[in-house]
Amino acid sequence: MASAKAARLGEEVWKSRVDKVNAELVTLTYGTMVAQLCKDYESDYLEVNKQLDKMGYNIGLRLIEDYLAKSNTMKRCVNFKDTAEMISKVGFKIFLNITPTITSWTSDNKQFSLIFEENPLADFVELPDDGRAQDELWYSNMFCGVLRGALEMVQMQVEAHFISDVLRGNDTTEMRISLIRYIDDEMPVDDD
Amino acid sequence: MSYYFAIIGTQDNPLFEYEFGTSKQGGDGVARFPEQARHMNQFIVHGSLDIVEEVQWANGSMYLKCIDRFYNNFVSCWMTGGNVKFLLLHAPSQPAATTTTRTSIANPTSPQTEEAIKQFFTEVYENWIKAIMSPFYHVNMEARSPIFRQRVVAAGKKYL
Amino acid sequence: MVVYSFYIFDRHTECIYSKLWARQDRPISSGGTAARPLSGSSASSGPAVPDVGPARARPTRLSAQDDAKLVFGTVFSLRRMVQQLGGVDDTFVSYRTGQYKLHYYETPSGIKFVMLTDTQTANMRSVLHQIYVNLYVEFVVKNPLSPVEHPGGEGVANELFELALDQFVRGFP
Repeated sequence: MASAKAARLGEEVWKSRVDKVNAELVTLTYGTMVAQLCKDYESDYLEVNKQLDKMGYNIGLRLIEDYLAKSNTMKRCVNFKDTAEMISKVGFKIFLNITPTITSWTSDNKQFSLIFEENPLADFVELPDDGRAQDELWYSNMFCGVLRGALEMVQMQVEAHFISDVLRGNDTTEMRISLIRYIDDEMPVDDD
Repeated sequence: MSYYFAIIGTQDNPLFEYEFGTSKQGGDGVARFPEQARHMNQFIVHGSLDIVEEVQWANGSMYLKCIDRFYNNFVSCWMTGGNVKFLLLHAPSQPAATTTTRTSIANPTSPQTEEAIKQFFTEVYENWIKAIMSPFYHVNMEARSPIFRQRVVAAGKKYL
Repeated sequence: MVVYSFYIFDRHTECIYSKLWARQDRPISSGGTAARPLSGSSASSGPAVPDVGPARARPTRLSAQDDAKLVFGTVFSLRRMVQQLGGVDDTFVSYRTGQYKLHYYETPSGIKFVMLTDTQTANMRSVLHQIYVNLYVEFVVKNPLSPVEHPGGEGVANELFELALDQFVRGFP
């Protein structure tokens, strides 16, 4: 139910309220940035992952406002399952026109996977064949940061990381997202 | 027919090499250059670069057709917008070696051959673009991508 | 309809933007300057405040900073009260006193928009939502040079935002 509603909303916003840019522009911009990071950090891919995550985090902190504004969201999601639906069918839909599949929920409903059948960031990409990139670099790691940043702004602390990537030769591109806790409202400081 | 395909960068530096034979008319796709002439392929192709520079401004298309000939070796060229040259050396098999299939030897300058080579180049060109769009590829870097090689092999099998 | 003042509070309970409008029904005599709004972030305590209508008709004038704190305290307590009575999803929309009406809108990301108007004004929740969507997100969030958080109101009171907000509010019937 919620899923169909989210899909409708995502479709509508994508059609009517989103400015589109050329997909290759996005792909090449992101690719150049990752390649430059690899160069700057002298192929220390673990550090590159970290930097990508950090950039994504900073994007997420802002992107959430754009998301809320575009989707006209007035209320918080009722539970984490709802959140997952909105991430996939509205968030990814309106910003990238993809809807990653939600699977592999844990029984406590606090962890799920997003499977990316298509990934606009990774078109044309072939990882460097230095024997390490295939095992160390998470090319699309920015996504993790974006989700972490965006969800933090709506009071959810999450942990997100990729566990497989077609660029590495895996069958699927899969990201694991776990809810750590809901963040409480901040109280005003007493100053009397 | 045997083929030697090379991609040459803007500094006349080789980026990619592949040697193969025809797959048409029952060919097994293995190059059959005479052993004593095989090492000459690179020289012949390299020698034709001068001619490429001469003819590249002659017409507006990327496909420059057969531009050079050295004895029984013919060189066709495709030039990308980025000044990268695809050179294909094609040598009809030596009549002495393959007397039985003599009738099937394609005429290296016939319109059919020209068209087949064009199709091959076109397909390689499309895949070349995809290969160089990878953010980890730099201009004039050797094309090491196994996927690209695989696709060139497939194109060779399909058209030549 | 008359708008008296407008506040934005961030998720850290800090006032990141406030703006007071002078009463518009008074004749503007002194070359239009009287109608110029007084604005500033919470960090700067307002110096001399012009007559801003009944909302501020108190015997002793508070500083703009204290004013903002008072407004926040009010909406914060009201919000909690409402949630305790009506469940966590409930939210209050506005309240009215004899002198003014306070409108409230909170985004899911915890940014709170407050507007004080005269008592005759109808529900302004959608207007506050519009301010968020069309002005705050467009001019503050999407400005790559403005910080993500706005300590002391930094980055909010940029010219585009101020101008657009002023125009928007003055465009009310």
